[in-house]
Amino acid sequence: MIDLDRATHSLTQFVSERFPVEKLNFHSMVEKKEVPIHSMSWGYYTGGLTMFFFMIQVVTGLFLLFYYQPTVSDANISVEYISLHVAGGALIRNMHAWSSSCMIFFAMVHLLTAFAMKSFVKPREITWIAGVILLFITFTFGFTGYLLPWNQIAVNATKVGLQSVEYVGQYLPGQLSEVPRILRETFQGESSVGQSTLGRFYALHVVILPLLLAALLGLHLLSVQLHGMSQGVDQPAKKFEKFISIFLFKDLTLWATVFLGLFVVAMCVPFDSILPYPLLAPFNALGATPQGIKPEWYFFFVYYPLELLPFWVILVASTVVVGILILTPWIFKGTSRRTLGFIASAAAAYLVIMTVFGEQIYEFFKH
Amino acid sequence: MIQGEKRVKMSISMGRYYFAVLPLLALQSLPASAYPEFQQFVEENSHRTVNCAMCHVNENGPVGNSKGQIGSFTPDEMKLLNQARAAIDPGVKVESPILNQFGNEIIKAIGKKTFVKIKSDPGRLAELLPQTSDLDGDGIPDAKEYLDGTDPLNKFHGDPGKLFFINLDRYKMHIILAIVAVLSLNYGLIHLINGISILQAGKSAKD
Repeated sequence: MIDLDRATHSLTQFVSERFPVEKLNFHSMVEKKEVPIHSMSWGYYTGGLTMFFFMIQVVTGLFLLFYYQPTVSDANISVEYISLHVAGGALIRNMHAWSSSCMIFFAMVHLLTAFAMKSFVKPREITWIAGVILLFITFTFGFTGYLLPWNQIAVNATKVGLQSVEYVGQYLPGQLSEVPRILRETFQGESSVGQSTLGRFYALHVVILPLLLAALLGLHLLSVQLHGMSQGVDQPAKKFEKFISIFLFKDLTLWATVFLGLFVVAMCVPFDSILPYPLLAPFNALGATPQGIKPEWYFFFVYYPLELLPFWVILVASTVVVGILILTPWIFKGTSRRTLGFIASAAAAYLVIMTVFGEQIYEFFKH
Repeated sequence: MIQGEKRVKMSISMGRYYFAVLPLLALQSLPASAYPEFQQFVEENSHRTVNCAMCHVNENGPVGNSKGQIGSFTPDEMKLLNQARAAIDPGVKVESPILNQFGNEIIKAIGKKTFVKIKSDPGRLAELLPQTSDLDGDGIPDAKEYLDGTDPLNKFHGDPGKLFFINLDRYKMHIILAIVAVLSLNYGLIHLINGISILQAGKSAKD
């Protein structure tokens, strides 16, 4: 029999330790807040950069909303119209596309550095879990946004992605095996990727996911402000700097520099130029699937292994990784920062190798 | 004798006529194809996927009944097609309905005879095309775009490295202005926050 009073007390204690409301004041959250200075201090900037790119996504996305038409007949033409005929349209669209990649890149770097710095231990478990969910939401942003230009690569890659969701069903027991199919049908909305899919992905991309992300980001930031910056290294830092104004100044200067970098890249290199032009043609339902269909670079770490290994291997590995990520605060509670740094470096090496050399690795093993 | 000479002369002139017309007839009777030799060369040279849409209206080439394919043409379009097929020599402006602007430009620049001749050496096309022609105005000449496997009719498509330096030069004033604006904003914002924090510190000390 569960002791209700004890359970309630434990829960209250858990929440009050994670959200110390007594610190919810200007003095604790602003005046008193300090940032440790040590060899890993650069890691404290990665979260802010991710948020900065999200802000750019929101602003550029709002501009794109004025002209984008979420219908299969007009989506591609409206994107072309934005690029060719709207003043600054090409720049805004390029910034949106480049910034999305930067946001995902820095979200991954932030997760790895937070892991290596052991920033997930008590009382920061909620901060960590919220961060992991934020990363998954960011990936979903990428997946849903990929479809919106309604070109060959967009539609065909989405078809493959949704099909993969349904494949999961055959490895699940009993009634659960139906869940992936129901999920795919829900997001697809019709027998094949079409108008319903575009409408649903659009709604997810511009309304549902931003609301979810804003809510979780609020929780994540509140938690960070309440607990302050984590120690980050084994030896407690000897030097500290004030969050307001020193750290904030550095953060703002970094944001300004990064913005200028993004501006130059968006101005000079159209995002589409990276892809072969046949993949950028408007989607033709009656045409053959062009060669070279693949997801965005940030899915390569799972895409190429998926092409080489049996589906169930990837499914098991993904489930284990997601489980470990969620339970990290408890699994790695007693692990040293040295070991955590090694694991984070190995994970980073895997991500870089699969992203940069994934295609060559695939070609090597397939031929 | 005279009749015999006439017959010889006639046969010679007829021979000349056939010699001149035969290639034309041969070209006109060529099957409508997208010349895969060129596509194969570009893919091997650029390591990029390309398709018939580099030179043709339709991504699947000229055979079929869809837009830009022979089966869908009106008599007027067939007339334009035959005019284009007759453009043996360079310099003739053609408006073939199976070709896009780049395809028509190739025929105008080198003529169909040379085009068919270099089928066995598709790399020569880049040398024969006008080196300054840039149909999409992205700053990369069409001949280079052909070698790079990028779309010569899309100003947002080209070799990313080349586009970077071309656009950096083209938009340098915009970039300089953006740098000045962002750094000024950053400077102002930092000093504003600094001012507020000094005021706040003064107020706290007073209290």
